[in-house]
Amino acid sequence: MAHKEWHIDRLKMKPGLVWQMAVNSLKVRISRTTLTLLTIATSSAFLIYLLTLPRSDDLADQQTWYLMLGLSVLVSAAGVLNTMLMSVSQRYREIGTMKCLGALDKFVLFTVMVESAILGFVGAVIGVIVGLTISILLGLLEYGFSLFQYLQFDWILLKILAAFALGIFLTTFGSSIPAVIASRMPPMDAMRGEK
Amino acid sequence: MSSLHTKTIPASDMPDRPAFNWLDDTGEDADLTVMTRDVTKIYQMGEEKIHALGGVNIKIATGEYISIMGPSGSGKTTLFNVIGGLTKPTSGNVFIDEIDVAQLDANELAWLRCRKIGYIFQSYNIVKVLTALENVTLPMLFAGVPPDEAQDRAVYILGRVGLGDRVLHTPKELSGGQQQRVAIARAFANKPSIILADEPTANLDLKTGEEIIELMREMNQEEGVTVVCSTHDHKMLNISDRIAWMQDGLLKKIAKRDEVDIEISQLAEK
Ligand SMILES: Nc1ncnc2c1ncn2[C@@H]1O[C@H](COP(=O)(O)OP(=O)(O)OP(=O)(O)O)[C@@H](O)[C@H]1O
Ligand SMILES: [Mg+2]
Repeated sequence: MAHKEWHIDRLKMKPGLVWQMAVNSLKVRISRTTLTLLTIATSSAFLIYLLTLPRSDDLADQQTWYLMLGLSVLVSAAGVLNTMLMSVSQRYREIGTMKCLGALDKFVLFTVMVESAILGFVGAVIGVIVGLTISILLGLLEYGFSLFQYLQFDWILLKILAAFALGIFLTTFGSSIPAVIASRMPPMDAMRGEK
Repeated sequence: MSSLHTKTIPASDMPDRPAFNWLDDTGEDADLTVMTRDVTKIYQMGEEKIHALGGVNIKIATGEYISIMGPSGSGKTTLFNVIGGLTKPTSGNVFIDEIDVAQLDANELAWLRCRKIGYIFQSYNIVKVLTALENVTLPMLFAGVPPDEAQDRAVYILGRVGLGDRVLHTPKELSGGQQQRVAIARAFANKPSIILADEPTANLDLKTGEEIIELMREMNQEEGVTVVCSTHDHKMLNISDRIAWMQDGLLKKIAKRDEVDIEISQLAEK
């Protein structure tokens, strides 16, 4: 069998370009970005508010608290996952086009993931600030300056971390599945199907 | 910039010419940019199989401008997508600059799309969130061209297609014809071997369409890039070197322009 030599190059992914594209995409779609941030911020604000709410000894109150915690995580998960899923699947055409221009699968994937992680992070920052503020203000109204005796500010760093983890996990997880699918799709199929 | 490496793979044996139904007379020793060998594409739609391509053999010489005609559904877009590595053929081989596309892994395929092929679509497919300049720069950045150099070439080439004063505009601030010019600039950015233009004028009015085709022809001659262009418009044929006709997923006929001219004048005489 004949052997043939071809000169072929391997493309390298440039992290700087990934970051640039991700930030640009967030900036240009500013209204969508704002909306997504709002969803994430609300979720983490509510979470941090619940986590710092004064502890009640009443059993029924505690049950209500757990119920609210569970429900709020569930509702935010559904909201954020849906938003991320939509935002990626509306971009199949763009992804297909980029692949025609020579974008590597992992470039597409990383761009979407970095974008989501930024959203999750910024959303959580806003959410944590807003949540803590509300918690403290309501505490002040209720208990005056002795509020920290009542609010659950023990383990506060861990609680803030939990809010961040929730935000970033939900955004990256929500976009990862459609992003993996879209990045592996042959460009033609991606450009056809705005799934 | 990364350096070229050499890939040694057992190439599928080159076809014996008589064994295939070549309609081409590209000449024994013409440099070929594209060669397809018995390319078929079958789409499975539930129970039904759609034979979009039924064994296409075409040879496209380096630097030529070839137009592909054919009724709707004859398989033009499918052929473009298979040649361009945008979808895999069901069977058969596609060679671009003698590289067997089927032998490439995902990364090498991306390289092929980036460096060897420029795509122009009916619906422009400009990245909406990027300016004209960024759209043209992007494939060069993917290719590893330093950003400054990429930008300089992008500015030059946008000027060349007549958009010198629209460089920082986004697609929604551009007309269809202007967007298609951005697409042309983008397709030529990496000095590819071949431009695949699938009905680039279908969404444009006649005059703009003619300008676009003329521009592609000029760029084809200036940059020495092979151009394959599908169209429904007979007026667009004048500037082609060769014209191919497709029907039912098969190449029915392929002829040089002057031969076509003769046929048309003969028809007129009768
Ligand atoms: N993704 C697909 N799935 C199923 N069938 C397809 C797909 N793409 C194309 N086809 C079928 O393959 C055949 C050839 O289609 P193709 O788009 O290549 O035609 P075309 O010559 O480009 O037509 P037009 O001039 O209308 O663009 C058609 O019968 C079409 O229905
Ligand atoms: Mg078509």
